Amino acid sequence: MAAADVRDMLDLPAEGQPRPHKKQKVVEKRPEGITRELYALLGERAPPIAINENRYKGRPKWMSKLRVRPWRMAPFTNEARSDGLVLHHWQRQGDTVKPALEGPETEGEEQKQDEGAPQTPDQEYLFAKYNVKARVPRRYTDEEYNRHLKSDDWSRQETDYLMDLVEEYDLRWVVIADRYDFQPHPVDAETNNSALVPANQVRTMEHMKARYYFVAASMLALEHPPSEMSEAEFDLHEKMMKFEPERERARKELAALQLERTADAVREEGVLLEELKRITANEQNFIAERRELYSRLEVPISVGNTTMYQSSQGLSQLLQTLLQADKSKKRRSILGPEGAAPSPAAQTPAPNANTRDSRGETPSNAQAAPTNKKAAAAAAANKEAQQSIRTLTPSEEARYGVQHHDRLAPGVQFRSDRAQKLTQAKSNVQTQKLAAALAELEVPLRLVMPTERVCKEFEKLIHSVNLLLDARKVAEKVESEIRVLEAAKQERERKAKEAKEKEKPEVKTEQDDNPAPTADVATESTSAAAAALPSAEGQETAGGTEDKEAEAGSGDTGEATAREGTSQKRSASVLSNTSDKSTKRQKKYLLGINCLCHLLVSACTRNQDDDPQTSIRR
Amino acid sequence: MNPSIPPSTAEYGGDEVSAIVLDPGFSTTRAGFAGEDTPKSLIPTYYGKYTSEGQDRLIFSDDVFVTPRPSLSVHNPMGRDGIVEDWDMAEKVWEYSFTSRLTGPRPGNPFQNGLNDIADGELPTEMEGVETEEKPLADSPLLMSECGWNPTKAREKTIEIAMEKWGTPAFYLAKNGVLAAFASGKASALVVDVGASNISVTPVHDGMVLKRGVQHSPLGGDYISSQIRALFKANTPQPITITPHYLISSKTAVDAGQPSQAKYKTFPPGKAPDASYRTLLEERTLSEFKECVVQVWPGPNKLSATGPSGVSNEEVAKSNPGRPFEFPDGYNQVFGLDRYRVVESLFDAKAAIPDTESPFPAPTQAQTVPELIKNALNGVDVDIRPHLLANVVVTGASSLLHGFTDRLNQELMQTYPGPRVRISAPGNTAERKFGSWIGGSILASLGTFHQMWISKKEYEEHGPTIVEKRCK
Ligand SMILES: Nc1ncnc2c1ncn2[C@@H]1O[C@H](COP(=O)(O)OP(=O)(O)OP(=O)(O)O)[C@@H](O)[C@H]1O
Ligand SMILES: [Mg+2]
Repeated sequence: MAAADVRDMLDLPAEGQPRPHKKQKVVEKRPEGITRELYALLGERAPPIAINENRYKGRPKWMSKLRVRPWRMAPFTNEARSDGLVLHHWQRQGDTVKPALEGPETEGEEQKQDEGAPQTPDQEYLFAKYNVKARVPRRYTDEEYNRHLKSDDWSRQETDYLMDLVEEYDLRWVVIADRYDFQPHPVDAETNNSALVPANQVRTMEHMKARYYFVAASMLALEHPPSEMSEAEFDLHEKMMKFEPERERARKELAALQLERTADAVREEGVLLEELKRITANEQNFIAERRELYSRLEVPISVGNTTMYQSSQGLSQLLQTLLQADKSKKRRSILGPEGAAPSPAAQTPAPNANTRDSRGETPSNAQAAPTNKKAAAAAAANKEAQQSIRTLTPSEEARYGVQHHDRLAPGVQFRSDRAQKLTQAKSNVQTQKLAAALAELEVPLRLVMPTERVCKEFEKLIHSVNLLLDARKVAEKVESEIRVLEAAKQERERKAKEAKEKEKPEVKTEQDDNPAPTADVATESTSAAAAALPSAEGQETAGGTEDKEAEAGSGDTGEATAREGTSQKRSASVLSNTSDKSTKRQKKYLLGINCLCHLLVSACTRNQDDDPQTSIRR
Repeated sequence: MNPSIPPSTAEYGGDEVSAIVLDPGFSTTRAGFAGEDTPKSLIPTYYGKYTSEGQDRLIFSDDVFVTPRPSLSVHNPMGRDGIVEDWDMAEKVWEYSFTSRLTGPRPGNPFQNGLNDIADGELPTEMEGVETEEKPLADSPLLMSECGWNPTKAREKTIEIAMEKWGTPAFYLAKNGVLAAFASGKASALVVDVGASNISVTPVHDGMVLKRGVQHSPLGGDYISSQIRALFKANTPQPITITPHYLISSKTAVDAGQPSQAKYKTFPPGKAPDASYRTLLEERTLSEFKECVVQVWPGPNKLSATGPSGVSNEEVAKSNPGRPFEFPDGYNQVFGLDRYRVVESLFDAKAAIPDTESPFPAPTQAQTVPELIKNALNGVDVDIRPHLLANVVVTGASSLLHGFTDRLNQELMQTYPGPRVRISAPGNTAERKFGSWIGGSILASLGTFHQMWISKKEYEEHGPTIVEKRCK
């Protein structure tokens, strides 16, 4: 269908606009060398082959307008030379505005170096600027030499020779040491044959450097006293003054040894390096994983609120999300056996269930026994329940980190939380003291790796620290009391002297008041003495006893401290004849505690250090 | 200007002043224009001498080889240690090397060249002051090379010749070790040059030779030739004699190992050339033999050692296919293990083939290449040794021996297992043969070098001793 028909049908005005003209046919010019007939055969469209005109590629048109700039052999001088040597090189004539030398005349002339026009003075030789010299210090005068630079080891001539060489070889020490060949002038040797310089002394590079640096530094200091030097100068001065030829020599010896290692040594070194690389890579891995672990552990703490997980619904939700995360991450557990627990709920740590349970109770052994029994019974029951499924031997239990609890607090708990809680005493002052004590022992407040063992040790440590703090408090009090009482005693003696005849009943009443507090102190000191014993039970009981007091911070009863506080206040005011014995004991006890603490701390830190590695090995 | 910043590419490099570079060696003398990549003129340092019509005549260049003139004797102005012995002849040979191909012959005395007809006794007086002869190098600065142990006397003699006899406007004398290092683009390197008369090891630091480290030993190409001669003498089916081409009028092909069937030329008594001529031509055959048969045991370990699998290295070498060689008289033989043995003594002195008639005494272990390198390194500061080991430059035509660099690499890695050992040896034959010439060509065409020349003026002021001061 033609366009006209369509127009027709659509009732459009026929040929509204004139049709666009057909493009003018480009008539390609017939290249030379092809006959007309042959060219006609090619048809309208020439095949995509280049028809070469066999001619040289001419210059571009714009170029033909330019004039050819001739090159000519031109003489030049080099500013880096002092003798004005004239050499010749090819140069574009346009480049220099030089009067053209007329050919035949110059060529006919003999080219002596004095002749020949050097280039115009304003045009410097292109390469002259690369003529750079190293900066060497100003040469000393005779007076300066005699005053500052004299040396037993170096004669003036040799020093001059050295400075010349240094300048000549631009401080390239390797070359200087290679070319160093000082021959004392024979005349000089005769005139002052009393000179100390032996004729054939072998100078090492270190000798030369030491001498040169000394001279250079001295000259620098002469020019500007050190107080006026710029920073760079001062640095240079310092560096030069501090040059130690001995050390340099030792270093070179080592370098020579290193160069001449045997193949075995090299191989061994390679193996060691490989090992080191492996270890550092592992460490990097470990650090990355630990960081990840931290970020996980930190999340619940920053939220701070675990109540939402305390309902079963919340728990299952948590489990779900954790499983999801696990699946998506497929992370290799690095927690070791404990980390292998299926869900965080099972991780509920119960280190020292015993000590914790006994907290609320009286610290006597007799009373602790039944609870233990109770716990044992519960454990047995647990075991029985498990036996139906699968019995785990104790070693297996230890390996899988299975624990039995007689009483479980509802909800999720973190082991680290518990350890954290221990560091919070009831009073702010106490907390700070605790923190200070820990800082002194270089144990972080926040456990780095709260494994069960570490937590246990940490708990022990905290107990001991509490014990220590209390003991310190008591000791301070006792000491001050002693001081007060001593003062009182003196006063009394004075008074007694004054009124020897009169006897007052005051003393008696004081003595009457005594019994209760002394008893108090006595019990304390006995238990303390027990604690000082290095036996495990002693520690346990001591821990138990002190727990009661430590509970003040975390536990629900503040009475213990309150009671103690009052008793101590009372004793401070009333206590009259605290026996020296008991104070001595107190001191001993303090010492014991101190030792204990150190032991515990070391154990604790060791555990912390150990654990990462054990977990890696696993 | 901060010297640690390299100049931009536009500023880098060349400024040619049409200097001539002359690299005289024991076997060949190389000359050419600076800035070119190979020497235009390559002539043997040997020259021929004969008497004809009662006059002594000299033959230079390859013409020496061509005609066996009666009583033609061949000499070398250089001594075996690489230092010039015959200065007059050295001057002539060197002059021939550049006048023959580069500068053209010096124009003769205008009164004697036949272009000017001057009646006897009619010498114009004003012509008397004119120098009758233009000196051959009047327009061209000259850069010459020398070996690292060239004594001061010889250096001064060299500048004297260049300045006074050749009239060069500017002169410089560079160590060929330094030049070879430049040719491989290094300013610091350990250059191992295996030439004809010597093997030399030159530590170069920042473009300067460390003199205390320079080592050389006579185990060069000529020593290898003497080892090959010793091998031929002790050859098993029958001793091999080398008969140069000029003594053979015709030959027929024979099977390997069969005695040759050639017709020999004979010279009437008194018409034969000197024995030194024959030796020189035999040397050409030996060079050919070195090029296509001789092979260095590539290592690891010596040829006499036992490999890791319990098979001795000699067995392994034997199992490699042999290489045939046909002598000018048609005798031919396949060389197996023997082709390794002739060069083994470059690395293991004990492996030298004994020959009582050889002009070379049996080598000592201290003369072997690895020991030379070790001694060279011990002569320089310990701090630059690792750097030198990482920049070992191998040059000299005899280093073209098959497997030489492999073996050298193995030996160095064995002696120095710690530091990185890197050998740079150009694969291009010309670059290896003319290493020091090429370095000179680069140096003399650098714009920054032109301040180093000793000018004629300076020479006239200070005399020949200036060469010691300036060419360090
Ligand atoms: N391809 C090759 N393989 C082995 N040797 C060769 C080869 N080509 C040449 N030679 C030998 O190398 C020697 C020449 O080496 P070169 O030209 O480096 O020495 P030179 O510089 O003249 O002498 P020198 O350095 O001792 O003064 C000769 O002995 C020759 O036989
Ligand atoms: Mg050479």
